[in-house]
Amino acid sequence: MTATIPTRRSTEEQASAIPSWRRVLGSEVAARVTFYVTAFLLWVALAAAFERVPGPLSVVDSLVTEFSRGEVFSNFADTFYRFTIGVALSVIVGVVVGIVMGLSGLARAFFESPVLVGLSIPAIIWAFLTVMWFGFGDASPIVTTFLTAVPFVIVNVAQGVQGVSRDLRDMSSSYGVPLGRRVRDLVLPAVSGYVLAGVRFAVIIGWNGVLLAEWFGGSGGAGFRARYWYDANQFAGFAAWVILFVVVIVVLDQLVFERMARRAFRWRDAAHS
Amino acid sequence: MSNPVVEASPAAPAVTWQEGEALARKASARTRRKRLALLTAGWAAMFLIWQLAAYYLPFGVLPAPLEVGEVMWDIVVSGAFAENFFASVGKTFLGFVVATAVGAPIGYLMGRYDYWKAFFHDGVTVAGTIPALTYAVLSLIIFGISDLGPILSVALVSVPFVAINVAEGVRGVDQSLVRMSQAFGRSSRQIRREVFVPTLVPYVFAAIRMSFAVAWKVEALTEVFGGKNGVGFQIRSEYQLFNIDGVLAWMCLFIIFMLIVERLVLRKLENRVLAWRPEERVGK
Repeated sequence: MTATIPTRRSTEEQASAIPSWRRVLGSEVAARVTFYVTAFLLWVALAAAFERVPGPLSVVDSLVTEFSRGEVFSNFADTFYRFTIGVALSVIVGVVVGIVMGLSGLARAFFESPVLVGLSIPAIIWAFLTVMWFGFGDASPIVTTFLTAVPFVIVNVAQGVQGVSRDLRDMSSSYGVPLGRRVRDLVLPAVSGYVLAGVRFAVIIGWNGVLLAEWFGGSGGAGFRARYWYDANQFAGFAAWVILFVVVIVVLDQLVFERMARRAFRWRDAAHS
Repeated sequence: MSNPVVEASPAAPAVTWQEGEALARKASARTRRKRLALLTAGWAAMFLIWQLAAYYLPFGVLPAPLEVGEVMWDIVVSGAFAENFFASVGKTFLGFVVATAVGAPIGYLMGRYDYWKAFFHDGVTVAGTIPALTYAVLSLIIFGISDLGPILSVALVSVPFVAINVAEGVRGVDQSLVRMSQAFGRSSRQIRREVFVPTLVPYVFAAIRMSFAVAWKVEALTEVFGGKNGVGFQIRSEYQLFNIDGVLAWMCLFIIFMLIVERLVLRKLENRVLAWRPEERVGK
């Protein structure tokens, strides 16, 4: 794009004018690979620039030792136990409250403020409070996961329910369709995608919550182990755990939820594109 | 579902259109009153539950709302509130500045070129899922106990939001407008300034509004780990002294502040910035 009008060529001509090596380098796969290489180099550079940032070699080294000591699986087993209970509770409560809020404008007015307040309380506060209330143990991470995740599920589900076709809802209310049937036949099928999005939010946010609660409540788990290395000033060990946290959540989010979301929203996306 | 039009009882059918309008206005006023009452009931229920829990739980576990209110009053009167919130807001704002400076160009590239879209795609999606704890502690490791840590973590958290929104905005730019400008021989710099930037500003704004809640929390979290001042630092000090009422008081101030900023300041500003656009906002 210059000041003069470019000479017009057909797209085929334009494509054939690009040399093949550039086409290979310009492909999307190459772009992704380049990104990972760049990110890795950035890490090496950061490690060289800041004394406190551990380099890749030392991190891999401590990752190997943690695996060989068996710390990884035992701690993640603890964490997943708490995480699963917390997320399951938040999904159950969140879906129920969300559906009620989405269906009735009056329920929405009632629950609006509590949900708003819940959304704005950071996980760290719940972690502190639950540690002070329940002491060290499973209760603190479970409750923190539940409380941080539940408002996000509610908001997502309520939004989905409100998005249910207005005409169908009005029709069923004027024909006096009972609430149970309305939920089963009209709301649930249309809402499944939003419920899934809510669960996904719950997983991402709850993961942060469970790690924070474990960090401050010393009773084992991935967060606790990361803190152990952090307190020992062994940043390589800490970084190894950070990589594990991130890998777990990314695998969960991208491989499991991304696919499920695509399936659940098929009816909607297909209509648009 | 309470729909005044659908569910209104046909007891008194409107004769003239004036009467019909009056009936409709009355019905809508009734719904509004009901809504307001329920909104108040929501707040009242929260306080009631808190009060009851404080009463029935063993002493010292959960202070009653009034006690926490007193501590809050002390914090506000002593000036600690203004001082610490000012410090935290300043850091959050600087973090947003950095995030916009880094995220907007990334988003621009992602929106315009498929190559850069593929390049940044994985990074942006992964950055959005990383637990906040990671950002907080990494910033602390890099900068130690300083004001730069919270700024960095706010920037790290907000960059993906800004990049995704700006990319969306670039893709939403009216292509026929761009083509027309090209046909009339405008320079690409002019097109960028006159077509792209005005379209993008609202998207940047939406990104900041969307990421404000997350960024504000991460900022406090980073201060909990390694701050010298700010809200998070105060929460941490109260926690270390095992002052439950102190933690709760700072928490309430935190929530009130966040709600005010989000509901009143950002929403109003956004409405003004977006006023020229008749269609609804694009958001997640």
